[in-house]
Amino acid sequence: MSLEQFKNRNVGVQSYKTLDVGTPPKTGMEKFTQVVKRSVKGELFVGLGVVMKRMLEALFKNDMHTVKYPFEKMPISPRYRAIHEMLRLLESGNYRCIGCGLCEKICISNCISMETRYDENQRKEVSEYTINFGRCIFCGYCAEVCPELAIVHGQRYETASEQRAGFSLFEDMLTPIDQLNLQQEFDGFGAVSPNADDNIKQTPLAY
Amino acid sequence: MSELETIDNMISITIDGTEFKAKEGEYILNAARANNVFIPAICYLTRCSPTLACRICLVEADGKQVYACNAKVKDGMNITVDTPNILEERRAIMEVYDVNHPLQCGVCDKSGECELQNYTLHLGVDSQSYMIPDTKRETANWSSVLHYDAGLCIVCERCTTVCKDMIGDAAIKTVKRGGEALDKGFKDSMPKDAYSMWNKLQKSIIAPSNGTGETNCSDCGECAAVCPVGALVSRDFVYSSNAWDLKRVPAVSAHSSDGFQIYYEVKPTSIEDRTEKIYRVTNEWNYVSLDGSARFAYDFQNTTATKDEKAFNSAIEAFKKADTIRFNSMITNEEALMLQTLKEKMGVKLYNPEVKAFQTFLNYYEASSGNSLWTTDTDSIMKKSDFVISIGSALRNDSPGMKYAFNNVQKLNKGAGLYFHPVGDTLIPTFGKNIESFNHKVGLEELALYLVLDLFADKDKLPEDVKSYIDSFKKSEKQTIQEKLVKTVKEMVLNEESGEEEEVSKKVTEMVEKEVTVTVNTLVDILGGDSSKFDATFEKMMKKKESFVMMLGEDLYYHNKAENIAKLVALVEATCNIDIVMTPPKSNALGVALICELDDEQSGYTIGYNENGDFRLSALGNGDIDMPAMNQQEGTLTSMNKRVLPTNAAVDYNGYELNDLMKELIDAPELTIDWTQKLPTDRGFKSVAFDDLPNSFENDGTDNRGYILETSNVDTELPKVEKCDESSVLDGEIAYRCNPARQFNDFTDKSHEIFEPFALYASKDKAESLGEKVEVIFDNGTITLDVIADEKMTGDIVKVADFKALEGVYDLFGGSRYKTVTLRKV
Amino acid sequence: METTLIENLPEVGAVGVIIKAVLILAVISAIAGFGTFIERKVLAFMQRRLGPMHVGPYGLLQIAADGIKLFTKEDIIPQNANKFIFMVAPVITAATAFIALSSVPVFPDFTIPSWIPLLGDTFVPSIASDLNIGILFVLGMMAAGLYGPLLAGMSQANKWGIIGAARTAVQFLSYEVVTGLSILAPIMLVGSLSFVEFNNYQAGGISNWLIWQQPLAFVLFLIAGFAETNRTPFDLLEHEAEVVSGYATEYSGMRWGMFFIGEYANMITVSVIASVVFLGGYDVVGVYGWLFIIAKIAFFFFLMLWVRAAWPHVRPDQLMWLCWKVLMPLAVVNVLITAIVMMV
Repeated sequence: MSLEQFKNRNVGVQSYKTLDVGTPPKTGMEKFTQVVKRSVKGELFVGLGVVMKRMLEALFKNDMHTVKYPFEKMPISPRYRAIHEMLRLLESGNYRCIGCGLCEKICISNCISMETRYDENQRKEVSEYTINFGRCIFCGYCAEVCPELAIVHGQRYETASEQRAGFSLFEDMLTPIDQLNLQQEFDGFGAVSPNADDNIKQTPLAY
Repeated sequence: MSELETIDNMISITIDGTEFKAKEGEYILNAARANNVFIPAICYLTRCSPTLACRICLVEADGKQVYACNAKVKDGMNITVDTPNILEERRAIMEVYDVNHPLQCGVCDKSGECELQNYTLHLGVDSQSYMIPDTKRETANWSSVLHYDAGLCIVCERCTTVCKDMIGDAAIKTVKRGGEALDKGFKDSMPKDAYSMWNKLQKSIIAPSNGTGETNCSDCGECAAVCPVGALVSRDFVYSSNAWDLKRVPAVSAHSSDGFQIYYEVKPTSIEDRTEKIYRVTNEWNYVSLDGSARFAYDFQNTTATKDEKAFNSAIEAFKKADTIRFNSMITNEEALMLQTLKEKMGVKLYNPEVKAFQTFLNYYEASSGNSLWTTDTDSIMKKSDFVISIGSALRNDSPGMKYAFNNVQKLNKGAGLYFHPVGDTLIPTFGKNIESFNHKVGLEELALYLVLDLFADKDKLPEDVKSYIDSFKKSEKQTIQEKLVKTVKEMVLNEESGEEEEVSKKVTEMVEKEVTVTVNTLVDILGGDSSKFDATFEKMMKKKESFVMMLGEDLYYHNKAENIAKLVALVEATCNIDIVMTPPKSNALGVALICELDDEQSGYTIGYNENGDFRLSALGNGDIDMPAMNQQEGTLTSMNKRVLPTNAAVDYNGYELNDLMKELIDAPELTIDWTQKLPTDRGFKSVAFDDLPNSFENDGTDNRGYILETSNVDTELPKVEKCDESSVLDGEIAYRCNPARQFNDFTDKSHEIFEPFALYASKDKAESLGEKVEVIFDNGTITLDVIADEKMTGDIVKVADFKALEGVYDLFGGSRYKTVTLRKV
Repeated sequence: METTLIENLPEVGAVGVIIKAVLILAVISAIAGFGTFIERKVLAFMQRRLGPMHVGPYGLLQIAADGIKLFTKEDIIPQNANKFIFMVAPVITAATAFIALSSVPVFPDFTIPSWIPLLGDTFVPSIASDLNIGILFVLGMMAAGLYGPLLAGMSQANKWGIIGAARTAVQFLSYEVVTGLSILAPIMLVGSLSFVEFNNYQAGGISNWLIWQQPLAFVLFLIAGFAETNRTPFDLLEHEAEVVSGYATEYSGMRWGMFFIGEYANMITVSVIASVVFLGGYDVVGVYGWLFIIAKIAFFFFLMLWVRAAWPHVRPDQLMWLCWKVLMPLAVVNVLITAIVMMV
């Protein structure tokens, strides 16, 4: 890699076009001429014309940009970072979360807490999990770092509730077991790339 | 050890082109570590013997490939850490370690502090070339505290090594795994060392060495501490927290007098309860090994404490009318100084049955030897001593640090040992081949010291009366012994070739009985040894021995001839080439002994600090006013290594401290740690502020924690010693005041991972004869205790635990550790 | 002030004038409220939005909702304000705006049908008080209106208020000059200060409108009118981007509402003056004359909204520069030329 691109410290100028605004008037006469010119040229009326055209279009061609929000909703990007969801394994219905604590560690607003324990099946079990949404900044690091795609950002962006605790417990975020068939695979931050198989080497197995 | 000696021993070596100084006879790996040079190594532990299990410490020394952990440095040695061939070997070894290692890093308790992960990344392993079918490996609980996940184990044998070489329990060993044999093709295709390491790895796994699945050890947890992967973990800690969530609080073990370095690792209790809780205790395991109380007795904090003004006022009242303050050694130097100041200003008596005898003994010792304190410590014992004598200490129970040193000397310094104690112990002889264990009668400790004088003293220096007293035990005896005689016999043999008879001489061995006169040392017999064999054994023990040390235990301080014993110890020090080390009984006994002027007995209105009394200050939460426990306060403790060590508060404390009371009573500074600077310099303390005390180890294991007490040495005349008065020997049913391993005080008992009960401990046979429960009848009272069999005990003496202050066991025993008692089945 | 009823309309009685006054007050207040709705709708459409939609059909009852809100909202008086002046200031604004309307022809005259009791056969004039100095009165009243914002801004102990008050004084006083000078030329032509005279002067079709004789005066008057009514691009008195809300910063509830009504009443007044003075007034083609003047007023009102949607604000210095260096000289020149033409 050449160092040329680092030597040009005029960052950002390259792709801009400078508008030709001419030279500003200096003498009083020049200023007066400019005012007269502008008034006579009717630039002001162009502006009036534009907004009038917009109004007519809005009224008669129904070219209206308003979305009647609570009744109509815009589709959102799968990469949108709304309230978190905890997913389950599709086959067994078990939690995907293994309690590794990486989300807790990476969280830059320090809002994730979890408790884990050694369960009866000799596995690590997440006994408590909570996100403090009063502090969460929805940066998406937790979803990105999760090795199991267990914590993901869902589509619930309406986060007003009577209590902050409204979304923050494990059970609130977890896919209800009876809606397992409706669980959507997440393709936002941290999801496996479509060509993941090409990028890894297989480990030999003796079976 | 003088400075000159160490400099003389230094040689120079070259590692990767840079010249370094190293101690002669040191392993390359240790020399490199001491000079901050990194050589990868998994299986080697600094203070233990090399195991050669991992083989990644391979380096090139003077053109030859050697293992850095077991090759010693030579003057001018040229060492290369990485050569292409070695890197290939190391990479192959790490690949082998990764074969079939479960991909559970996400849930593993090591949570990133994993040496397998580190070295796999360090050596750039990005693909796997080897494979073998896995063997099913089950997880198991080895004891009440140990959890072993065989699936994660990489059989580096660090756990078995530390258990054998440091702890001395040798409770775990490698056993057969029953894995499949390696594909022969690998032998040619992979690097040599990697193949042989894999070959061994594939065959072995770790298991308790008694074959039962239960370790039956002292539950110190050191094996879990040294485990490089998440295979060995404390049962309580399994899957409870990630390492990165835990905040480390540097501290000192509060229970035994060893002053072990520990970290309390704390984190909020739960999502709802954000007060911090101790999750585990860790240590710098390369430089210090913990006992079970240091590692597992950590949650003894006083959680219920509040600032109760009413209790505070009544405490002030109590102090104003108090005649005696009774306390024990579970106290910091600062608090001890507060109590001493209180004594000076208000004239209260200080009564401490745990420390009083020790303090008196120290005074006797100082008077007769001129040394203000003993002359060596456990660290230098482990570094250089090769002959250890232990007198008057139940090594396994009283002092884990001494036990580790005793054991470590046998294992690493090819040492020998003499162990004198009335209670038989089956573990001590297993420490090494050259150990003689004397189970003498109670009260004969003086004779043991006379035997030491006999064996080691420069006879010219000994006073005449002592010499003649020792000689009086030597008796000439006529013994019939069998002797080999070689005779040359001449025979006439027919030569078959020539047909002639020839004279041939032949050697024939004959056994002949012979009567000889030998000198028998009856002292050995009196102490419970076998005088006929002892001479030969001792000669073998003494081969190539240079540095001798004698460990003195609590029995001597409580001996009714303590003064004479102290003189004998001084005599041993003066006439033999033996260093002395003493075990302070429990916690901060040395600090208390140095700081406080203790009184002989309590009288009148008594304030008990963690002890019985009319008004009770208690860190256990059951007294009249709450005090902070040792893990809730800052302060310094004085260890048996004569170090003043800083310890920090790990958990919150919401109540009043002793200093708050002091502020009300006398002119006291703002904080408890403001007292640190005021510790008495005439007793060896230094005027250093608490915050200036260092708390670290250097890479070569040098202990930089706190500071070492200043000791003084005055030349004195040889002390006049008395002969042993054998009339003080106890007979009959004897009780010995001794705690089970891991139990030291109420605080260890409060901790949830310490399970040893308050009971009477006896050898297996004795326990059977006693039944389940006995009443122990003393002269001045009785106590009813459960009987528990201690498999490692022998003999008829029973041990009575004393760790519960409120049970008043100290008062029952009075001024001694042994008492004749009546045991009655209940 | 000397007020004299025009003598050639003897039918006008006191009752008729009172009825007219009440009518103006009620209707203009309602129109001011409705004006806010229209403004929001028009601006929304011009920005391709819907505007208020949820209260009533197409958001029509939004005015009622706003009104209820304004009436019921807490009336906050700042602790350090001069309370009396603070409370009086909005009243001055609203009062002067409506007083100005009293001498402006707002609706056509009509007679109350005789079957209505008490008030039957009462003649209600188109102008509440047809003064022979109508224009002077209106201009004077609008000029007096500057005391509202000025006192409001100075009394409220708020730095934004002070700035707003300063701007009020500067802007209103300056543009008063332009308004007066620009309308002087038509007055010279008509030779009267009565609106009725203006109306009569322009009777007889579009070609008689004064705008054709005085185009420059019309433009100057319009610009000055925008400034006088505190409309974009000259709404520096309460320019949110610069001075929070200017003189109205500390006001809330109905007191703030009075400023609002006053502003809309002034907008209507200016629209009426512009219609009557330059666009021929109300009585052009017989019976439907009053419809025409409503259309003219509506156009000017709409123009104000339209301009708000299209044009940016000017800076205070630009405002002053425009007034004193461009508009005022032009107005003087216009008066001179008109005078010369009339003399020749």
